[in-house]
Amino acid sequence: MDRDIILCYPHDSVKEVVHMMKANQFRPVVVAHESGEVWGLVSRLAVIRFYGEDLERTRAEDVMRPYRIEVDPQWPIETAIELMKRTRYEHLIIVDPHAGPMRPIGILSSFDIVRYMSGIETGHYEQILKMPQEWSIPSP
Amino acid sequence: MEERVMRVMRKGALSCSEDTSIREVAQIMWVNSAHYCVVINQSHEVLGIISARSILKAFGRDLRQVKAKDILIPYTFTITPSTPLKEAIQLMDKRKIEHLIVVSDRPGSKAILGLLHIEDIVDRMAQDEER
Repeated sequence: MDRDIILCYPHDSVKEVVHMMKANQFRPVVVAHESGEVWGLVSRLAVIRFYGEDLERTRAEDVMRPYRIEVDPQWPIETAIELMKRTRYEHLIIVDPHAGPMRPIGILSSFDIVRYMSGIETGHYEQILKMPQEWSIPSP
Repeated sequence: MEERVMRVMRKGALSCSEDTSIREVAQIMWVNSAHYCVVINQSHEVLGIISARSILKAFGRDLRQVKAKDILIPYTFTITPSTPLKEAIQLMDKRKIEHLIVVSDRPGSKAILGLLHIEDIVDRMAQDEER
């Protein structure tokens, strides 16, 4: 399992985001400020709306879902699933309060929950979360 | 020239029967790295689709008792190989689903020809930019 989260800057174009997705198994891209704070998430559904259009004219910050719900890695997995059901979000950005303010440390996807439902009886995020092997923010 | 679904769709689709338990559906999806599972009846007609998000509806219930037919997203709309890709994308966006079942153009047919995957649309967008 690939454990890296994919990061872009708010001013990166949708063209750049599309190429990042392609290079990373078409996973969603987390939008982070240069300080490392999470701003939002660009989903695949958000980018395909621009099919056939000039992808360089639109920025990641214009298409991202703003990050508003703080999800702590210590929450029981059941709490996250209920949150996903209620919000209908496909992905939750996990922020570790010990890593710094608004620092994303991983993404919990509905597909991770499929794995959980397929047989893992108990657990917290740490067991199924896509954790980055090395936390880093791309250089500007 | 307007791009059609047939240029991007994949033939075939992962499927299960309507009476498959959700535990098994989750196992089928996980083992095959598939974010969907098409639900068919005994006549191999499409009844609907279960996505990685829609399967969450069953969470908290006995996953061995809940069946695919209990939580599937009903197959109430169609795309065919000749559907314009732009139209299919609008349907994905409106319904917030990442996979669309492709059936034959033949009137009344409910046989699966394949699936349109969102990954393949993003891939096509990246390819178009490289040209």
